[in-house]
Amino acid sequence: MTKDRRQSVLSNASGTGQILSKRQSRRKFLLKAGGAVAAGAFGAVPLRGWAADPVNIGALYPTTGGMAQIGVGCVAAAKLAVEMVNEAGGIKSLGGARLNLIVSDVQSDTTVTRTETDRLITENKLSAIHGCFASALTLIASEVAERAKVPLITGSSSDQLNKGRTYTFTPFARASQFAKAQLQMAKLVGDKPKVAVIFENTAFGTSTSNGLKELAPAEGVEIVMFEPYSAGFTDASPLINKVKASGANALFSVSYLNDLILIVRTVKQVGLNVAINGGSGGFVIPDFYKNVGKLAEGLQGVAHWNHDMSDDAQKVNAEYKKRTGDFLFEYAGGLVAQTFMIADALERAGSADPQKVREALSTLDVSSGYAAMAPGGKVKFGPDGKNIYGHPVGVQWQNGDLASVFPKDDSRAPLLKT
Amino acid sequence: MLETVAQAVINGLLIGGIYALVSIGVTLIFGVVKIVNFAQGEFVMIGMYLSFYLATQFGIDPIASLVVTMPVLFVVGALIQHFLIRRVLGPNDMPQIFLTFALSLLLLNLALMLFTANYRTVHTSYSDEALHLGGLYIPVAKLIAFVVAMILSGALWVFLHTTDLGKAMRAASQNRDVATLMGINPNRVFCVALGIALALAGAAGSLLMPFYSAYPFVGQVFVLMAFVAVVLGTLGNVMGALIASLMMGIAESLGIQYVGADSGLLVVFAMLLLTLAFKPNGLGGGRAR
Repeated sequence: MTKDRRQSVLSNASGTGQILSKRQSRRKFLLKAGGAVAAGAFGAVPLRGWAADPVNIGALYPTTGGMAQIGVGCVAAAKLAVEMVNEAGGIKSLGGARLNLIVSDVQSDTTVTRTETDRLITENKLSAIHGCFASALTLIASEVAERAKVPLITGSSSDQLNKGRTYTFTPFARASQFAKAQLQMAKLVGDKPKVAVIFENTAFGTSTSNGLKELAPAEGVEIVMFEPYSAGFTDASPLINKVKASGANALFSVSYLNDLILIVRTVKQVGLNVAINGGSGGFVIPDFYKNVGKLAEGLQGVAHWNHDMSDDAQKVNAEYKKRTGDFLFEYAGGLVAQTFMIADALERAGSADPQKVREALSTLDVSSGYAAMAPGGKVKFGPDGKNIYGHPVGVQWQNGDLASVFPKDDSRAPLLKT
Repeated sequence: MLETVAQAVINGLLIGGIYALVSIGVTLIFGVVKIVNFAQGEFVMIGMYLSFYLATQFGIDPIASLVVTMPVLFVVGALIQHFLIRRVLGPNDMPQIFLTFALSLLLLNLALMLFTANYRTVHTSYSDEALHLGGLYIPVAKLIAFVVAMILSGALWVFLHTTDLGKAMRAASQNRDVATLMGINPNRVFCVALGIALALAGAAGSLLMPFYSAYPFVGQVFVLMAFVAVVLGTLGNVMGALIASLMMGIAESLGIQYVGADSGLLVVFAMLLLTLAFKPNGLGGGRAR
C-alpha cells in the first residue's frame, strides 16, 4: 500500500474531515466537471454553476525580520490547512467554494502590521483573517480588523485581545492560564517546590511572571527568587550564579529562544539540579531541541496546542512533517484548527460576507473534527471571544520530541521527574 | 559569600576576554586609521557563521577554525580598507561614519537573507563541560576562549612593539604626515591595521561558537560593550581596551549578582561615567599606543 493511500484509508476510517489523496480529488473534479458539461448540454444549468467563487481568507504573519523563523512555519501550516479544506470538498453550502489563502508579511514590525492589515482588507474581499503569532502584532491587526468589521481568529495569548473587541476570537488558552498550569506541573514533579522565576524585562516577560507571582500562594508554591534580567545578554552565568545562591529547586524562565538556550546550558555547566520550566514561545519549537540537544530532555513547558494531543492533531502533524521535515509546532498547529473553525463558520453562514461569518463564529460549538483540535477537544466562544473550554497543555521534551504530559485528559505520556 | 563573589569575578573575567577581542579591533582601527568602525560587530557575526559552517559541513572544531576565519577576515579587512575606506579618508568625518554604518546595515540584512533569523549552535564535546574547583566552576569552552583571547592580545602587543611594520603602524597613528615623510606608506599600514582588527573579530566569532548561538544580530550584543571599553580604556590604546574589557566583564557580573539581573549594564555605564568624570581621557591616561 502506498503511503498516500494508507493516509487516505486512515482518514476515511476516522470519518471526520478527510485528507483526500490527489487521485481522489481529481476523480471528484472530473465527475463534477463532466456533470456540469452534461448539464450545460441540456441547457438547464449555467456552465459556471459548479465552480463557486473562492472564499478569501487573509493570513498575517511575519515572514521576514526577527520573528520570521516562526512566521514562515505558520504560513506553511496555513497553506496545508487550506488544502485540506479544499480537498475535502470546500465549503459545501457555498456550492463547494474553495478557500483562497492571501498571505501578507507583517515583517515583525508593529507599524508595518497596521498598514499591511489595512491594505489586505481594503484590496481584497476577505471573509476572515487569521494571524499574527506575536501578541504585540496581533493586538494591532485586531484593532484594524475590528474597525473594518472583519472577523480575526488568533492563537496569540495576550488577555488584552479579549477586551473591547467583538470581531476577535481566541480559541486557545490565555496568558493568565499558562501560569497556573506551570505551577501545578511544578507541584507534580517536586514535593515542596521552591521556584526561582527569572524573566526578561519586557512587556511579555513582566506580564507572564506577574501572573506566576499572583497565583503562586494559592497553588501552594513558594517563590524564592523573582528577578528581571535584560533580554539578549552575553552570558547567563551571573544570573544562574544567583539562582544557585537562592536555593531554588525549580526554575521558571520567561525568555526568548537565545537567552533560554544560554540559561539551559549554563545550568548544566554549574551542575545545578533544578527542574526547568521554559514556558511557551521559543521553548516549544523544533529549533529549541536542535540548539540545546540532549540537555533539553526532561525540560517542561506549556503550550496552547501540541502535535500529539489528539488523533486529528497527529494526523495533521504527519502531513506537515512530510512537507517540512519538522514536527508541527504550537502556533502553526493551532492555526490549522483555526482554519477549520473558519470553514465551519462559512458552512453554517452559507455566505462569504464577513459580518455573517462573524455571527457564525460567535455561535461555533464543536467537539469533533479538525476544528475541535484544542486542548480538551472542545471549542465554543463566550461573549468576549474566549473559548470557554480553553486551557493550556503541559509539555515535556522526551526523546527529542515534545510530549503532552498535563493535564491528564490531554496527556499522551507521563510527566517525568528529572 | 566569598565563594559567590569569586564565582562572579571568574564569570566576568571569562566573558571580558571576548569583549577584549572585539574592543581591541575597534580601538586599533580608531588609533591607526582614525575612523570608528560601526560594522565591527557584524564581522564577529561573519566569523561565527564561518565557524558554524566549517563545523557542520567539514567537522572542524570551532576553535580550530580560527586558522581559517582569521586569515579570511584579514583579507576582507585589507580589501575594505583598499577599496572603500581609502576613498573616504579626508578632513570630513561624515562619509566615514556613513560608510561603516552602511556596511553594518548591509551585512546585517545580507545575513538575514542568506542565513535567515534562525539561531545556529555548534555542539562540541566540551561545550557544556566545566571544571569544578571546590564550590567554584569554570566552563571549559569559555576558559579556552579566554586563554586564546589573551594569547592573541599579547601577540598583537609584541607585534606593535617589536616589528618594523608594528612600529610603522604606531608611527602612522601618532602622526600620519610625518610618518609619510619617513617613507611609510599609509595605505599599506592601514590595510594591515584593518586586516588585524577584522581578524580579531573573526577570532572572537570562532571562540564564541562553542558556547553562544550565531544569528544575524549577534554582533550588536558585543559591539556595544566594545565601544564602552574603547572609551574607558582611552581611544586608540590597545592595552587600555584590554584592561577595560576585563574590568567591564567583572563589573557587569558583580552588578547582576548584587544590584539586579537587569542592572549589569547599569553598573558598567556608571563605571564609565565615573571614569570619564575623573580621568576624562580614559584609564590609559590619554595616550594612544
